[in-house]
Amino acid sequence: MNGQPLSSEVRRKRLLVVLFIPSVERDGFTEIDQDDWVDEALDLFGRVFGGATAYPRAKGVWRDDENAGRLVRDNPVVLHSYMEPEAIESPENQALLGAFCRRMGRKTNQGEVGLVIADEYLAITDFEEE
Amino acid sequence: MKARVDIDKIAKGLGAKRRGRVSVSSGHFGAAQLVAEIQARFRVPTGGGRATDPSWKKKRLVPLKEQTLSRLERLAHDIERKRQIHIEPMQVAAMLLERTLVDITEEDAGEIVESATNENRPER
Repeated sequence: MNGQPLSSEVRRKRLLVVLFIPSVERDGFTEIDQDDWVDEALDLFGRVFGGATAYPRAKGVWRDDENAGRLVRDNPVVLHSYMEPEAIESPENQALLGAFCRRMGRKTNQGEVGLVIADEYLAITDFEEE
Repeated sequence: MKARVDIDKIAKGLGAKRRGRVSVSSGHFGAAQLVAEIQARFRVPTGGGRATDPSWKKKRLVPLKEQTLSRLERLAHDIERKRQIHIEPMQVAAMLLERTLVDITEEDAGEIVESATNENRPER
């Protein structure tokens, strides 16, 4: 087995993009069809960016101090995708990913949809169709 | 080596707003750790609005030169106009301060303080 193509592939696919797929609506308790959204996201990342891994959800809770200390439970699935930097720099790919995030935000009634690209947390809050 | 990309351009292309830097590592534990960091730092207040950083709990009265405050006001205004993020001038100041403190060495900080002190000292 020739090791060269593998190491070259690893070097090229060095940018990590993370997408958070929520488990509940922004009210903190109305559950969404998380599994369907995970499948759709995997399809998109597979098709457009060459692959992705969705990690089993971790249970999370946080206290909403602006709402009488109500406990909000959100157990997002985290999707990791390693890609070539050029893949996320492509305007066409950005349009596809942006459209998916806006649709997910709109359909699942989110306050924001979160992504991490190159160690930077990015939030999409405007879910209007373009 | 980490890939360098133009994050402003990507954010614009996605219709996203930059919230801040996070530590990302690979694998299941990295993913779980990232969820904890995002939930702790960038959760959206109910009722919408800009995400706040709950670690900003301390407040101090900081005297500033008039031109420094004007510069911060201009920066906040530009950020709001270009990126549709509502931000106050002193929130910009806090972010710049936190980012600078991560990178600056004690020696560099000492030199800056010494230089500023000398500039402000009245001439004899």
